[in-house]
Amino acid sequence: MTSPSNPAAGRSMFVKVIYALSLVCGWIAAAMIVASVLITCQMIFVRAVLNESTIWQTEAVVYLMITATLLGLPYVQRLRGHVSVDLLPMMLPHQARRVLITVTLLASAAVIVVMLFYGIEQWHMAWERGWRSDTVWGVRLWIPYLALPVGFGVYLLQLLVDLGGAATDADPTLEPGGHE
Amino acid sequence: MDPILLGAIVAITTVLVLFSGVSVANGLLIIAAGFLLVFDGLRSLELLPEIFFGKLNNFALLSIPMFIIMGASIASTRAGADLYEALDRWLTRVPGGLVISNLGACALFAAMSGSSPATCAAIGKMGIPEMRKRGYPDGVAAGSIAAGGTLGILIPPSVTMIVYGIATETSIGRLFLAGVVPGALLVGLFMVWSLYSTWREGSTSTLVRAGAYTLRQKLEIMPRVLPFLLIILGVLVAMYGGYATPSETAAVGALLCLAVAIVIYRLWNLQALWVVLRDSTRESVMILFIIAAAGVFSYMLSSLFITQSIAEWIGTLDVNRWVLMFCINIFLLIAGFFLPPVAVILMAAPILLPIVISAGFDPYWFAVVLTINMEIGLISPPVGLNLYVINGIAPDIKLKTILLGSLPYVFCMVLAIVILCLFPGMATGLPELVLGPVV
Repeated sequence: MTSPSNPAAGRSMFVKVIYALSLVCGWIAAAMIVASVLITCQMIFVRAVLNESTIWQTEAVVYLMITATLLGLPYVQRLRGHVSVDLLPMMLPHQARRVLITVTLLASAAVIVVMLFYGIEQWHMAWERGWRSDTVWGVRLWIPYLALPVGFGVYLLQLLVDLGGAATDADPTLEPGGHE
Repeated sequence: MDPILLGAIVAITTVLVLFSGVSVANGLLIIAAGFLLVFDGLRSLELLPEIFFGKLNNFALLSIPMFIIMGASIASTRAGADLYEALDRWLTRVPGGLVISNLGACALFAAMSGSSPATCAAIGKMGIPEMRKRGYPDGVAAGSIAAGGTLGILIPPSVTMIVYGIATETSIGRLFLAGVVPGALLVGLFMVWSLYSTWREGSTSTLVRAGAYTLRQKLEIMPRVLPFLLIILGVLVAMYGGYATPSETAAVGALLCLAVAIVIYRLWNLQALWVVLRDSTRESVMILFIIAAAGVFSYMLSSLFITQSIAEWIGTLDVNRWVLMFCINIFLLIAGFFLPPVAVILMAAPILLPIVISAGFDPYWFAVVLTINMEIGLISPPVGLNLYVINGIAPDIKLKTILLGSLPYVFCMVLAIVILCLFPGMATGLPELVLGPVV
């Protein structure tokens, strides 16, 4: 068993790399949320104080928020922060609970594979066809759409690491109420 | 397959999947993808990432991380302790002032932080030992804080109300205003019950405290409390004055709250600041993921004609509107026992709202009733998050005592719903007074 405070401790290099990758994604997501706070304040200043029109700010903060959400998925998974109803798992004996956690992680990974596959397709279409948003700013849409493959991709890796932890009973933070 | 039957199968599957312990957002994606695959074929899955992305592509959603940063900044400081102490000093001579100041501090802190568990922890850490020391029954001490903590999702600014506004395309400004009077009503009911049960169980001397504070002592704590209160007030004034949208005012509020936390509460070490940002990111991502996944889930329901068929079916049922509202309340109550408020709202509100409106109910009034139902879930077993927070900060009070102590406050909330049914103007009056009737 590993220490609950660091579920990656004592595990393979791959697990450590994915944990580090999730952490970096979390930092970037947090930075993007802070950036959207600052850009929104700048937008209000430009509009209300300088009396000028704003062009890029609204769209930029929305794309930052979307990217922060997608990049934040693996980090929040690492923190066990995605809310769930763990009443039934808590009532089960350890072995049955482990099987249930493995099955739910497997189902989660399967649906994220679907999101990742079609997310790559969506991004590729935007890239190949040169899609732009129909605003004055006209952002190249492959840039915000890139969050789909990257976010779901790292999230899938984190889910697979957790799946390994559940299957081998190596990660106590996967237990109901467990967190880093 | 008949869409109503299909709807029933989706409902049962949803319950089973969510009870398996899978995260709510992933559960919704699994159900949506599964049913689309079976009934619409593989090609129907192509659109899922675009729908996911599209659901998040909404400027109004930005208010969620912004209000969460505001709350996390406040919750990371000693603001809760200061607020508690300020109210305690000012209300010391009021009979039952301690329980009144506890509930008042809960209401204010819950509104500022928007987080139920943070409120229970911040106010309960001081409030519960102090109340017990003064002879208040354990059940009242624990129950009043657990119930007081739930007020954050009703009193503005409330993330729960923002999510309702986005899910149902109703005005967030109106929703905030709709929560004010019912919030005050709940605080009043909680206070009345706390005073009555203390009087019933103990001597009336418990309710009168010795000692007094000088005016200087009362005033010297105010500079530590007023900045956050003024920011919240400023955000609401800017919103209702039409100077900026909820997302814009929330961004300014978030920046100011972070600045106050750093300057006044000296939150300038990077690790403490990272905790605020980490908690904000975690909660924002968790909620936004559920919002996007619920968007995919709604797409599946409407793509398989389930939403439309259920609305039509209920329209053909010849039931009294109050019987219908009673059934909806029971459903919400049960859902609130197990699921977080955001998930219940995102899954249920878009389906329920057309039914509620066609039965002649006001959507803003319904938002308040729905939110009070969610508040009940926060202090009721089996999940009842606040009960466990109280158990964590006051481990020597038995969970059973906390549960039994919270039960009368659940009845207060049910009473508040009944009062709101009898006098819907309590929820709709203030928005109409400030913003005019809904056009």
